[in-house]
Amino acid sequence: MTNAIETRELRYRPGKGFELAGLNLHVPAGSVYGFLGPNGSGKTTTIRLALGLLRPDAGHIVVLGETMPEHAPGVLGRIGYVPEQPHLDPTLTVRELLRFQAAFYRTWDAPRAEQLLRQFQLDEDRLFGRLSKGQKAKLMILLALAQRGELLVLDEPTDGLDPVVRRDILAALLEYVSQRGATVFISSHLVHELERICDWVAVLDDGRLVTEAPMETLKNGIKRLRVARAPAEAGAPPFTLLARESFASNGAVETWVVRGWDPGMTSYFEAVGAALEDVIDLDLEDSFVELLRTFRSSSR
Amino acid sequence: MYRVILYSQWKWSRLIVLLGTITGFALPIISLQGAAGADRNPLAAQELLRAVQSWGTLYPVLATTLGLLAAIATWAPDHRGRHIHALSLPLPRWRYVLLRFAAGVTVLVGPIVAVLLGAVLATALATIPPGLQGYPLALALRFALALLVAYAVFFAVSAGTTRTAGIILGVIAAVIVVQIVAGVANVELDLWGKLALVILNWPGPLAVFTGRWMLVDV
Repeated sequence: MTNAIETRELRYRPGKGFELAGLNLHVPAGSVYGFLGPNGSGKTTTIRLALGLLRPDAGHIVVLGETMPEHAPGVLGRIGYVPEQPHLDPTLTVRELLRFQAAFYRTWDAPRAEQLLRQFQLDEDRLFGRLSKGQKAKLMILLALAQRGELLVLDEPTDGLDPVVRRDILAALLEYVSQRGATVFISSHLVHELERICDWVAVLDDGRLVTEAPMETLKNGIKRLRVARAPAEAGAPPFTLLARESFASNGAVETWVVRGWDPGMTSYFEAVGAALEDVIDLDLEDSFVELLRTFRSSSR
Repeated sequence: MYRVILYSQWKWSRLIVLLGTITGFALPIISLQGAAGADRNPLAAQELLRAVQSWGTLYPVLATTLGLLAAIATWAPDHRGRHIHALSLPLPRWRYVLLRFAAGVTVLVGPIVAVLLGAVLATALATIPPGLQGYPLALALRFALALLVAYAVFFAVSAGTTRTAGIILGVIAAVIVVQIVAGVANVELDLWGKLALVILNWPGPLAVFTGRWMLVDV
């Protein structure tokens, strides 16, 4: 499988404090890849590096088969990009912005732009600066989709939007993916949103990659176990023990958060004199929180 | 690409250009107003030359002001969007800068043509005393050159980041500090004078702004 975006040992230090430290990302072509991380974890910086807007201190970036930032102008013509903040000229109207954007992209799909304009109910004579936050987000998605890029890079495209606008945007996005088979790289800290649409997920924290895995692996691989008579030392379990917490006041029942769980591993508990009472599936948000908690405690 | 860049440039700077065009057209006409009733004697010629020279100081001021405002208008929307839109467009950065520069120059053609038309009209309508001649084309060419130089300088400065602006201000501050310290220490050092000599005298980059701007001369 080829990768639409690939970074190897990517390093970037914009100043004191924050640093991207040896980031290795692999975004499979044709996937909807969620890029999760708390605010300030480096998602936007990574995106800007991938698009050639910033120059890395070290490492390699390959986007759509071309190295970046050397081939940025050519590659950017094949990418639809929605940045975190509305960045368009506030003094131009919606129609003028469509014309402006169309002039720069050879693949511009004018009928599709018109259709999305109607679908999103955007007033073409309204200045960009006078649009509401939701309308601005819709327009930026419209521009990215009408470019007919092979890759869509969306930096928190629905952050701060109401559920209706969010749904409209995600629906348009999914329709585009199903029609064109494009790769989507979408960053967010809204875990539930990504859970619905992504088939790959990477988690970033403080400039370091916590994990990168298919969505199913991440969701199914992390479980919460209720363990009675838990041993003081876990020994060498066949799974990765991410966290353990006392559930009852006397410590007789514990909650274990584990990665790499398989039903056949129940025998481990019998062998250490414990009893497995329950296996609870975690949703992506719980998995995300547990992963971050473990990652932070292990890196202290 | 050039067309849409030009359109956006026009939208941002049309008021500046319009005011510049009106002023550019009016300035030569006003400067020669007294010539219509001038007597044909040497005293009147001197009077006229003094008036033309005095009004002439406004041409470099107009060129500088227009160049500055047009350059600021050129980069303002990009600065507001932190250049993200411009940087994410699929063309090399140098080409984008060139397109923006060219669009700015194009909209400034209006005031240049206005100065030319105003100067031609003023010299045609005025009664110029014998021994004096009108130079509308030379004045318009000089105005065009000054406007382009002003626009280019301010375009380059406005294109820079806050850091670049800081460096430029830092260099100016350093020159001032050195000059003050030299004065206190009784060291004979005239940095400003030397700098002015290099920049403002031919073939200095700003030489076009200095000297007499005469629509009518001997």
